[in-house]
Amino acid sequence: MLNIDLILHNPFKIMGYDSEDIIPENGFGAVLARAGVGKTAFLVQLALRALLKNKNVLHISLNDPVNKVSLWYKEVFNNLAKQYSIKPSSQIWEAMLPHRFIMTFKAEGFSVPKLEERMTDLSEQNIFSPQVVIIDGFPFDESVRESLSDLKAIARKLSLHVWFAVRTHRHEEPASDGMPVSFSNVSDLFDVAIQLQPEGKEIHVLSLKGGRSTTGFPELRLDPSTMLIKNTSSSPLQ
Amino acid sequence: MVYDTEKVRNIGISAHIDSGKTTLTERILFYTKRIYAIHDVKGKDGIGATMDSMELEKERGITIASAATYCEWKGHEINIIDTPGHVDFTIEVERSLRVLDGAILVLCAVGGVQSQSITVDQQMKRYKVPCVAFINKCDRSGSNPFRVIDQLKEKLGHNAVAMQIPIGLEADLTGVVDLVSMKALYFDGDNGENVRVEDIPENLLAESMNRREELIDTVSMYSDELTDAVLEEKKITEELIIDAVRKGTLTREMTPVFMGSAYKNKGIQPLLNAVTKFLPCPADVENEALDMDNNETPVMLESDPQKPVVALAFKLEEGQYGQLTYIRVYQGTIAKGSTIYNVRNGRKIKVGRLVRMHADKMEDIEKIPAGYIGALFGIDCASGDTFATPGLNLSMTSMFVPAPVISLSIVPKDNKARINMSKALGRFTKEDPTFKTYVDDETNDTIIQGMGELHLEVYVERMRREYDAEVITSRPRVAYRETITRMAEFNYIHKKQTGGAGQYGRVAGYMEPVTEEDFIFENKIVGGKIPTQFISSCEKGFRLCLAKGPKMEFPVTGVKVVINDGASHAVDSSEMAFQAAARGAFLEGYAKAKAVIHEPIMKVVVETPTEFQGAAMSLLNQRRGMIVGSQDEGQQSVIEANVPLAEMFGFSTVLRSSTQGKAQFTMELASYRQVPQSIAEELLKKAESEKKSAA
Repeated sequence: MLNIDLILHNPFKIMGYDSEDIIPENGFGAVLARAGVGKTAFLVQLALRALLKNKNVLHISLNDPVNKVSLWYKEVFNNLAKQYSIKPSSQIWEAMLPHRFIMTFKAEGFSVPKLEERMTDLSEQNIFSPQVVIIDGFPFDESVRESLSDLKAIARKLSLHVWFAVRTHRHEEPASDGMPVSFSNVSDLFDVAIQLQPEGKEIHVLSLKGGRSTTGFPELRLDPSTMLIKNTSSSPLQ
Repeated sequence: MVYDTEKVRNIGISAHIDSGKTTLTERILFYTKRIYAIHDVKGKDGIGATMDSMELEKERGITIASAATYCEWKGHEINIIDTPGHVDFTIEVERSLRVLDGAILVLCAVGGVQSQSITVDQQMKRYKVPCVAFINKCDRSGSNPFRVIDQLKEKLGHNAVAMQIPIGLEADLTGVVDLVSMKALYFDGDNGENVRVEDIPENLLAESMNRREELIDTVSMYSDELTDAVLEEKKITEELIIDAVRKGTLTREMTPVFMGSAYKNKGIQPLLNAVTKFLPCPADVENEALDMDNNETPVMLESDPQKPVVALAFKLEEGQYGQLTYIRVYQGTIAKGSTIYNVRNGRKIKVGRLVRMHADKMEDIEKIPAGYIGALFGIDCASGDTFATPGLNLSMTSMFVPAPVISLSIVPKDNKARINMSKALGRFTKEDPTFKTYVDDETNDTIIQGMGELHLEVYVERMRREYDAEVITSRPRVAYRETITRMAEFNYIHKKQTGGAGQYGRVAGYMEPVTEEDFIFENKIVGGKIPTQFISSCEKGFRLCLAKGPKMEFPVTGVKVVINDGASHAVDSSEMAFQAAARGAFLEGYAKAKAVIHEPIMKVVVETPTEFQGAAMSLLNQRRGMIVGSQDEGQQSVIEANVPLAEMFGFSTVLRSSTQGKAQFTMELASYRQVPQSIAEELLKKAESEKKSAA
């Protein structure tokens, strides 16, 4: 197996996410965690997998400027390249970049119609047509259902796979379905929900929706030093 | 002379080209008694305004050189530093923005926030310079200061608050109402020098009350005392409001707005009061230097005159008596007779004459303490040099100077121009480390190199205007490079026997691509196959090949050469023979190493109103640009892209015309990348046809 294939290998199979893209076309996926646990690093790894498959990824951030998002990709990619001894990594990196587009908004200035306008601009001018969309910093507040429904319509129109980072809070009791409260009332719109759960020095990757429900912790973890996904039962990601 | 840093203001006046910046500066100098007569910009007296030094600036709408002038107002010392507003002069902009602590943003009451106001405002934002706004030309027909305040909010995203309202507008403008003291101010005398304070006219009382309410509402955010006073319905003193406005202004969270007409001498004195009340003194601003002993780690400086000296030379001027170096002292004190050293070259300097400048007149002073601006006489240094107390290795600017990415040849029109051109080039290279010049050995042409098309264009114009040197320029050329992409071996024998002493040398080894260095030479010869004394000749031979690559005569970079075998002859081997053998070996290896052309890729950042985002992206896309991302900042949007320099010629004109002049861009070298095959072929064809036409 080529080193590059190791990265492309679906690490979530053991969690029951059998499909290569984890979420179906037009589908929504969520990565839930408290602040600082590693949502962005996790999403960036999903994005890198897609990029390596020559898929166009639109990364939307409502928190960070373009430079910072760009740095995330560079960091995570360098860690991956180191872990899998990929050489020459700079050529792969350069080849990947045209497939990525970063769009950042000030959280208060973000709206779904605005995003749609920007995306239409990009695709009409043949600048960029995304296949995978990552949305980091999307506010899961009272009006979120309406915005999510509008986003769903865009996802259908453009056949997108959309991933969200969902911030949870330490003090929140889970809802009756076991989901964090802020997410529970919109969870029906999502096909996949993955939670990052810190336990001591480990960060466990749990399936909340769409995968096999597990008792106890599965073997998938985030390595706290590199924030890379690793499978503790075998060599990395196999 | 008493030195009190709290009473010092180092400010810039930033404005759109026609909003009256020069007139305003002229009035400021008049009221602060630095000049005793007022000359208008396009005056009939033929003298012109005091700060108006460069014709070229006005014509192109850009400020190229920064003049610094000093004045006093109500016990405060104000240094006014002229700021270049154009993006191509990145180093110059950075230098002058570092030197100032605050700014007056001048806007036209008729034209409002225009594209260049956006440019200068973005620069202020980038360098976190606090500012007060002055809405000028309230006497003009069609003026509407409150529309401009709305534009400041909408277009520039400022939390702009009126500190005054006008008394009358257009031809009826007679004064302003100060919303803090709630008094009407009129400006009497031939030149408006006498400020008459009166009660607010009856017809403006209600509006003044409303506007004051708005002001207090906004600024109470920045002061708990003011909030308490409002909530407890206590008397709101002027001090409380001033204190809150100052806090909000220093953190750039609000912009107090003043108004008047510089031309009609109205509203300038209150603006000067605002500069002293609301803009920061040097101690309010954090300044960083880079520790050169510690990998350029940032170090905080303290605005303390007793500490060791750190000062920045931010501008050079050629005067009657030699070079005048403008400096700002950030820490410590530079005194007459003291010794400082230039951090860049380690040269010690004994401080001779110290002066303070007022446009083109000067005044001798004894010392320049932290926070102050002054000038040194007769010191040989370059712009951007840092002076420090001997032993302190701190620099105000990074020592990293990017390599030039564009060049063009210049030919003087006549002999007089030749002499002047050489003077001008000497000056420019000292002023600007990114501007370089050399004489091409083959063509004997003088080549100038810089960071962008406009960068070079402006220097050519300055040569003509300031130095009377007419030159003919060639088309700009991009600094392409050659490099190899795979390992290749060489084994070359240089042998010549044509009578006299023969030449013999054999050099063998391999070359391979490297990314970390431009050239690496490694000697792995064992057993004296090439005698030690000839190894350096081999290295020299290889190095000589780098200047002009065999593929297309571009400089060769990213090559590692390893020699591991060779042969010599007891009589016929010489330094010359091994240099020639190395050259032959290089050509042999290079031909097999799959050489490619690399081109400079620029990181281009376009700042544009959101409505033109699509247009700007499309322009970048058409230029082989790879858009990294877009940042939505409310009214403005920032697009970041990597674009080959070769595609950026004329971009500023195209960008301007597609965005109604509202977008601007900055450009810096990001990396070198291989040119696509089709472009490489085009380059090859072009090079061949040039060769043919030269022959």
